[in-house]
Amino acid sequence: MNNSSDPRRPDKEVRYKPIVSNSQAQPGDDLTPDYMNILGMIFSMCGLMMRLKWCAWVALYCSCISFANSRVSDDTKQILSSFMLSISAVVMSYLQNPQPMSPPWASAMQ
Amino acid sequence: MRLWLVALHIALVGTNLWVTAHFQEELPEDNEFAEFEDFEEEKPNLGVPDDLVEQFSEAELTDGFEEDDVLVEDGDSEFDHFQDEEEFEGLDATGINAGPKSDEPSTLTITKVPLHLRARWDSFYLEILMVAGLLVYFVNYIAGRSKNCRIAETWLNDHKQLLLDNFSLVGDTGKLNDEVSENGLLKESESQYSLYCSGRVGCESMLIELKLIKRQDLVAVLAQLVRPQNDQVHFNIELPKDDVDTFVLAIAAKRTATHLVRDMADVCVYCPEKRPGEKFGLPVGFYVMSEIAEAASAILDTRVLQAFTKYAPYIDYIHISDQFSGPKQQEDASQLNMPEVKRVLLVGLNINIKGRTSTPEAQEQMRPLLQLTFYLLDKLRRFKLSKEGKNKADKNRLRVEEAFLKTTHAARAEAAAQRREDRRRAEKERILQEEDPDKQRKWEEKEQRRLAKKRAPRMKQLKVKAL
Repeated sequence: MNNSSDPRRPDKEVRYKPIVSNSQAQPGDDLTPDYMNILGMIFSMCGLMMRLKWCAWVALYCSCISFANSRVSDDTKQILSSFMLSISAVVMSYLQNPQPMSPPWASAMQ
Repeated sequence: MRLWLVALHIALVGTNLWVTAHFQEELPEDNEFAEFEDFEEEKPNLGVPDDLVEQFSEAELTDGFEEDDVLVEDGDSEFDHFQDEEEFEGLDATGINAGPKSDEPSTLTITKVPLHLRARWDSFYLEILMVAGLLVYFVNYIAGRSKNCRIAETWLNDHKQLLLDNFSLVGDTGKLNDEVSENGLLKESESQYSLYCSGRVGCESMLIELKLIKRQDLVAVLAQLVRPQNDQVHFNIELPKDDVDTFVLAIAAKRTATHLVRDMADVCVYCPEKRPGEKFGLPVGFYVMSEIAEAASAILDTRVLQAFTKYAPYIDYIHISDQFSGPKQQEDASQLNMPEVKRVLLVGLNINIKGRTSTPEAQEQMRPLLQLTFYLLDKLRRFKLSKEGKNKADKNRLRVEEAFLKTTHAARAEAAAQRREDRRRAEKERILQEEDPDKQRKWEEKEQRRLAKKRAPRMKQLKVKAL
């Protein structure tokens, strides 16, 4: 284990080249933030169009998960826009109808 | 930036809730006010003094409200004194002021308090639950983030000396001014850190990737309860092109072995067979994927085997390959070239088992594993395959290349035809643009000859058919 000589070779240094991140996802990448982004968008749309409050809330949670899992190199604009969309879905649905949310299973129970 | 986002977000949700709550509160007041305005207009209609005391007491409830508003609206109109409270002193007895019509009570009863306003905060229990969930998520986010950061820094501190002893460049960030982070750790995400080292004999570079549990994500933390995972460190060592002999060898714990065989292009092409590790003297639970048997037995010498028995739970995989091209690509017939390959030594270790923070002693024990990596690196540098082994390896590589060429034959032929066609068109254009008619004629003749030659065999065939 003990190297008789110093293993360091300053003349063989290679500078770090960050992997060029193209728009296409690398096979080994963690895809959670992307999936959550899409899910969040779908749920916000449902929340806005169909006035389903729980959808708007789920969208908010999706954007939170997407935010927590995002890579540093990711575009912050995308996360911000997904947050804005889900928040606006929540706000709009409560402005249109300030009644408290009824859970999606409530209609089935009745 | 992120903290700002969080704060803004919480504030927005908070105001949203507040607005919804107060929006409802104002509704009945508005209605009552409107009603009172009616009442004001009808004031000149005096002289119906029945039941008035009751009405007036009703009016008094909203007294302050009405007074302010009207004073602002028409402060010095001639009916000003009607609004003055002092002017009306003792008027309840005479009942002049309160003179609504008989239908007034009915308008009052029309105003219905919406059902949901009765128990306002109780009925918003789902919203409160949601906001509480979001708060818990963010508290966990901040806590998990700092814990991951702490783990990464502790690991680096523990191993920094060893790395400095082995590499002349530790913690390069690829930027010219290295002021970004003082310790060289690159943050990929909240749960992934990497460290780049270079300048050592026998290797080009080493990229250390710390893949920690996603403690910042509450969902992942909950998933951890169901399916525990480990904090891992991956060493990705790139070997020099001509220094190392050609073979593929992977030793991995069971779960990772399955994953390697399924997903890694080189393992799945060159050594898809999983052999239990006991045959090589490894502890139970390890599998060996080896292309050339002699390489496996040479790499797994007594020292490596000792390390394996001692640190079995901490070793995830060791993968040596001269044909490493990452995970298997999707079958793509239009791909014309073999994927680019690198010579690598990949080592994956578990920092702690199932997310338990390990004690300093356990951390101390981890250090020999990094030394094991360097030992393997030096061993690879010195190791040479025998003649038969080398022949076998070369044959395997040739076979794989041939198989690849065969699968992409049609696509390559098409591409070649396309290229030829392009070249011809370019040439034609060049000739047409030239001024010299002599050259043009020459080229046309040449082209004619070529086309004739191309047609010639068919002509022959036709002749044969005709006979």
